[in-house]
Amino acid sequence: MSTHEVYSTLREPLVDGNLTPADVTRDVCAPMDGKPSGLWWVGFLIAVSLLGLGVASVAYLMAKGIGVWGLNRTVGWGFDITNFVFWVGIGHAGTLISAVLFLFRQRWRTAVNRSAEAMTIFAVMCAGLFPLIHMGRPWLAYFVFPYPNTRGPLWINFRSALCWDVFAISTYFLISLGFWYIGLVPDLATLRDRAQGLKQKLFRFFSLGWDGGFRTWHRYETVYLLLAGLATPLVFSVHTIVSMDFATSVIPGWHTTIFPPYFVSGAIFSGLAMVLTLMLIARKTMHLENYITERHVGAMCKLIIATGGIVAAAYATEFFIAWYSGNEYERFVFINRAFGPYAWAYWTMVTCNVLTPQLFWFSKIRRNFLIVWVLSILINVGMWFERFVIIVTSLHRDFLPSSWSYYVPTKIEIATFAGSFGLFFTLFFLFCRFLPVLAMAEVKGVLGYGRSRGGGDS
Amino acid sequence: MKMKEREDKYGLAQIGGVESPNEVEGDDAAPVGRRTFLKMAGFSMGAATLAGCSRGLERNVVPYLTLPEEVVPGRAYRYATVCGACPAGCGILAKNLDGRPVKLEGNPDHPVSGGGLCPIGQASVLGLYDSARLAAPLTDSQPVAWDEQDLEITGKLETIRNGRGAVRFVVDSCSGPAERASINRFLDSFPDGRLITYDPLSVSAIPDAHLATHKVRALPVYRFENARVIVSFGADFLGSWISPVEHTAGYRSGRDPKFPEQFSWHAQLESRMTLTGTNADRRWTIEPGSTGQALSQLASRLAGHHGVDDSLPDGALNEIAGRLLAADRGSAVVVCGVNDPETQILVNTINDMLGAYGSVVDLAASSKQRVGDDSAILHLVDELTADGVDAIFFRDVNPVYDLPSGSRIGAALDGPMVTASFASMRDETSTRCRYACPEPHYLEAWGDSEPVNGTVAVRQPVMRPIGKSRPLLETLAAWSGRPASAREILREHWRTRVHTRGRGGLPFDSFWDQTLHDGRADVEPLPVRHDAMDRTAARPPQQLASRREGSFVLELYPSLAVFDGRHAHNPWLLEMPDPITKSTWENFASLGTEAAARLDVQTGDEVRIEAVEGEALTLPVVVQPGQHPKLVAIALGWGRSGTDRFAKIGPQWLEGKPTVPGGGLVGSATGSLTTGTEVGIVATGKTRDLACTQIHHSLFVPEKLAIPGHERRPLVRETTLAAHATYAAHHEHPSLWPEHTMEPHHWGMAIDLTACTGCAACVIACQAENNVPVVGRDEVFRAREMHWMRIDRYYGREGDGQDVDVVHMPMLCQHCDNAPCETVCPVQATAQSAEGLNQQVYNRCVGTRYCANNCPYKVRRFNWFDYPREDRLQNMVLNPDVTVRSRGVMEKCSMCVQRIQETKSTAKQEGRPIRDGEIQTACAQTCPAQAITFGDMNDPESQVTHRKNDSRHYLVLDELGIKPVVGYLDVVRNRDEKAEPDEHA
Repeated sequence: MSTHEVYSTLREPLVDGNLTPADVTRDVCAPMDGKPSGLWWVGFLIAVSLLGLGVASVAYLMAKGIGVWGLNRTVGWGFDITNFVFWVGIGHAGTLISAVLFLFRQRWRTAVNRSAEAMTIFAVMCAGLFPLIHMGRPWLAYFVFPYPNTRGPLWINFRSALCWDVFAISTYFLISLGFWYIGLVPDLATLRDRAQGLKQKLFRFFSLGWDGGFRTWHRYETVYLLLAGLATPLVFSVHTIVSMDFATSVIPGWHTTIFPPYFVSGAIFSGLAMVLTLMLIARKTMHLENYITERHVGAMCKLIIATGGIVAAAYATEFFIAWYSGNEYERFVFINRAFGPYAWAYWTMVTCNVLTPQLFWFSKIRRNFLIVWVLSILINVGMWFERFVIIVTSLHRDFLPSSWSYYVPTKIEIATFAGSFGLFFTLFFLFCRFLPVLAMAEVKGVLGYGRSRGGGDS
Repeated sequence: MKMKEREDKYGLAQIGGVESPNEVEGDDAAPVGRRTFLKMAGFSMGAATLAGCSRGLERNVVPYLTLPEEVVPGRAYRYATVCGACPAGCGILAKNLDGRPVKLEGNPDHPVSGGGLCPIGQASVLGLYDSARLAAPLTDSQPVAWDEQDLEITGKLETIRNGRGAVRFVVDSCSGPAERASINRFLDSFPDGRLITYDPLSVSAIPDAHLATHKVRALPVYRFENARVIVSFGADFLGSWISPVEHTAGYRSGRDPKFPEQFSWHAQLESRMTLTGTNADRRWTIEPGSTGQALSQLASRLAGHHGVDDSLPDGALNEIAGRLLAADRGSAVVVCGVNDPETQILVNTINDMLGAYGSVVDLAASSKQRVGDDSAILHLVDELTADGVDAIFFRDVNPVYDLPSGSRIGAALDGPMVTASFASMRDETSTRCRYACPEPHYLEAWGDSEPVNGTVAVRQPVMRPIGKSRPLLETLAAWSGRPASAREILREHWRTRVHTRGRGGLPFDSFWDQTLHDGRADVEPLPVRHDAMDRTAARPPQQLASRREGSFVLELYPSLAVFDGRHAHNPWLLEMPDPITKSTWENFASLGTEAAARLDVQTGDEVRIEAVEGEALTLPVVVQPGQHPKLVAIALGWGRSGTDRFAKIGPQWLEGKPTVPGGGLVGSATGSLTTGTEVGIVATGKTRDLACTQIHHSLFVPEKLAIPGHERRPLVRETTLAAHATYAAHHEHPSLWPEHTMEPHHWGMAIDLTACTGCAACVIACQAENNVPVVGRDEVFRAREMHWMRIDRYYGREGDGQDVDVVHMPMLCQHCDNAPCETVCPVQATAQSAEGLNQQVYNRCVGTRYCANNCPYKVRRFNWFDYPREDRLQNMVLNPDVTVRSRGVMEKCSMCVQRIQETKSTAKQEGRPIRDGEIQTACAQTCPAQAITFGDMNDPESQVTHRKNDSRHYLVLDELGIKPVVGYLDVVRNRDEKAEPDEHA
């Protein structure tokens, strides 16, 4: 495929090290071939322990009731929905990188799209968990699906943003999964060809009879393009709908028309930060320095500056509109956010989300991966707090002062949150171990970028 | 129908087939159709299951083989009886379902209750199902048979009689005339027998003062409806003083803004913040102990002496004297809550000058609601400690707990040969007595009452007693060797003593039946002869004692929840937010704002209150605006023995804390401390999590977050009487959407905030009616109380110190026509009914809590846990018409939809439209002030429509366009300023 393309030698190479396609296969398959490293085991065990903690706390929640969380009559959502929105947001960068950048022919995405997409799926799985367990009676969760029934029939409430959520998240998960899987097929075929025994059988099954023929490639690329087209609007629709959980309410601080774009850009912002966090570790530990280069990191840092700027503008707009509306409740919520009992959360958010990305203006910082990694974590923290601030500070002091209260999470809530990280990283570690973290077939296609013709060709 | 299992467990086989009193309220059984029958059958099956009330367990439901006469399963019967929760003697109707009372309501025909009932009365039905009640008599703490105990006691009494020993019988004012007659007969058989009436919440000084001034020891009846000027010196007549339900009704009827010239002016001068004080038009905080001085100055001023000293703040004396003098003769009154005869003599003098006697202060219709005599009980303490008593009996009193010298009595109770308590539970006094002769709950026994001279009523049982308790009348009869049933004794008393006073000339049997049916009888009052006022009795008041620098004066006041402590085992009352502080499950030391600042303590900090001599008390602080800086106020009635059983009342989980920390008691007893003691206060440095249902106490937002012009939230509209006269009707916000049409009814409610006193009767009535669970202290602390009806109490600006306005705002589901909760529920578990009710469908609810988040009034309540209802006896109080909610579902006010449906079906059966006022929600029904009106807004003539058309009517958060059907009528204070500071923009 790639050999027919002509690249300008003036372009910067997308893959360093003058690699051959065989090198790519070797490098990418290396983690899957040998025994896992000690580092992998350490990471995996920590992740599984966290997951175990999460499972235990969710089991306790199921046994006792929502009361084991710190919620109260005034603050009906806390960590649960904060975590939900946080994880959904994380997912968005994956889709952006794999689908949107694909449509825009950003070939640099090849090095990161596979793992970013995997991150999306795992993040959506974590996200989907929270609306389920936050229900008072999760065993009746199927009530939220419009299934045929003999109770009337009794339908769901199509006016409720929570119902839209159900559709949005499930669609998003299915499309992302399909998109990811289709992208995997050529690589699975490569693995099939290298594997033996049971592994080979499995890979044969999942590679859908891939034969590398022109016709197969053609159909593959058509389907991939179509799925990319399908996934792209989801980047915008999913978080738009999530934001409508709040925007369609009457609660000051929630009832805000700016929420859809604000949430979408915030989601991409946080997702990119998460991609950076993961990529920089993977790059180091899995020896992918040739594939994930300064160029990738730099591009993502620049995207973070852009989306971070939109988020900062949204914060400012919210304040302006609150003042401009003249609505005393609206005004109070924002003043209370910044100077009330949760001011610490608000200023954590502002520091992490508005000030931190500004450091990425400096190329020196963009090139220092350690700093980039630390900053990416700060952005993740900030974006988690953004959701917390929106949800909790709006609820805890709304219209009637008699009902004002304060929300403090319980240990069980914190453990559940940690457990969601456990789930995420457990899946991610398994992914690193059993599937190619780079889209080999695609990387092979961009090996020629920035090279003189003939040099190291396959 | 009845449940098999219940029979064995409690020996209650008879409950279903209770020998129901013959006297059923005139309730002609309508022919029962098939549908009705099925409905009833459904109801009663539900009822039986609910009574057992463990989720998901299968039980056998067995129908009666032969239906007992007059009991139709699932059908409510109301029996007229008399409340025994306090000595006020309100007439009540007990609603019986399947042979057991589940709800109490004020009897509208009874002059004391007037249809209303206080929170304590509402909650007293729960006491009936208290599993801690004694099931059998005890001798030396061992269960015995009645005849065994009778034999032993009569033997000893015989010895005492022959030895001319002293027999003392201590009762409080709850004992009715028949019981008193019976006791007196019993005591007459002894050479030295004496009946002592002891009221822990004594107003003994008032009768004492009348003895001095009018030569009659009588407590007058206060008719606040006749007063145009009310000046109260610390008398909490709307909260705990003598007969709050009666006073509230009277007070309220004299304060209708529709008749501004009739609207009374109420000034309250007090050191602590009382419920009455929160309702006053003018309220002054006065130095503790200075009441006598102030009254004396007022008397001089009224007598026309000018230039008298003025120890009151801010020209209070001038204003009060001016108002009192300007009032028509006989339309002004001064009342005083200080239990000191000298002070009360001054009050009598002033009232005589004002001509209040005969109009507001009715001495002829004297009250029997507090007939206690402090000197008698003090004398008894001396007698006891001097070993001068041979037999002592306690009925309805617990002096070991509530007398400051209680421990001395406790120790002295080893002396007498016979010590017996009739308490139905083991209390502090009962455990010190050799014999416990448990009486049934007042809803199980015959008795009578005459709270006010001429107002007589029979207290009839509404259920067969649980366990082997025996009414006092029968016990005394057995000891006198003339055993008879309580009913017979009572009838005999009525035949000879009451019927003879009867008007109308009915034969006795008809008179008796009529009395039982009506819940009261029309009889001639006994003549009360009193002399004309002796104005020479007044003496100059004592000078204020000088106090140490930095010390505090202690005031002990009756709890509005547990009364004098007799209801300290009632979880509904323990969890009732205190009407002033909104605190639950604990008593506390109230300190004024300045005092707290001086001591550098905040609400929740723990302090030690140390009397100069005697014991010290450690309590958490509540910072109370409107309290005098030199005062520390502590509620009585807490720290009762046995309340440690509530330790585990809430849900048990990892971070859950026990309701009673450290295995102690609920609250702290005040022990030997007395009102007026000088105490020192030291902060211990510890803090306690006070379970308050409200943590922000003002309509003003915190100062540092306030926007100029929007410091105060316009949720409660306050105005003055002067401004009210020029009121224009308030326009409603326009809407782009078409109006909803609700047919055939559109239920609505109007709450008059001027009438509401904040007494919390509606809160408990709602709890009783709607099976609202008790969740325990920790859950309340976590802001998870379950009350469907709450009363928001707002002070004026925070930190306003002593001069502070208070408003009470009952808040419940507003049943919005455009309800925000309905649109957000993903499963349509909450929906609008065709009649405008916002309905919660429990079995559809999955518990996302989205609806609660989106409720601007925050009235939705979530079942965070499966709130324990393990006390199976207590579960008998559950209203079978209302579903018990399980864990994980949302709940909220249903506007008592079960009552609406019941009335609708009755009306349908009778083929007539529903009458206005026929349906009353539990909150509206119990309100002594009739502040709540419920009805059909489609009916242009209904009361609720009239109130909705009142110019005072407004909707809370109207600007959201959610169209609540619960509206409020603003707070009108009798002040001259025309300013409307809190008007909507």
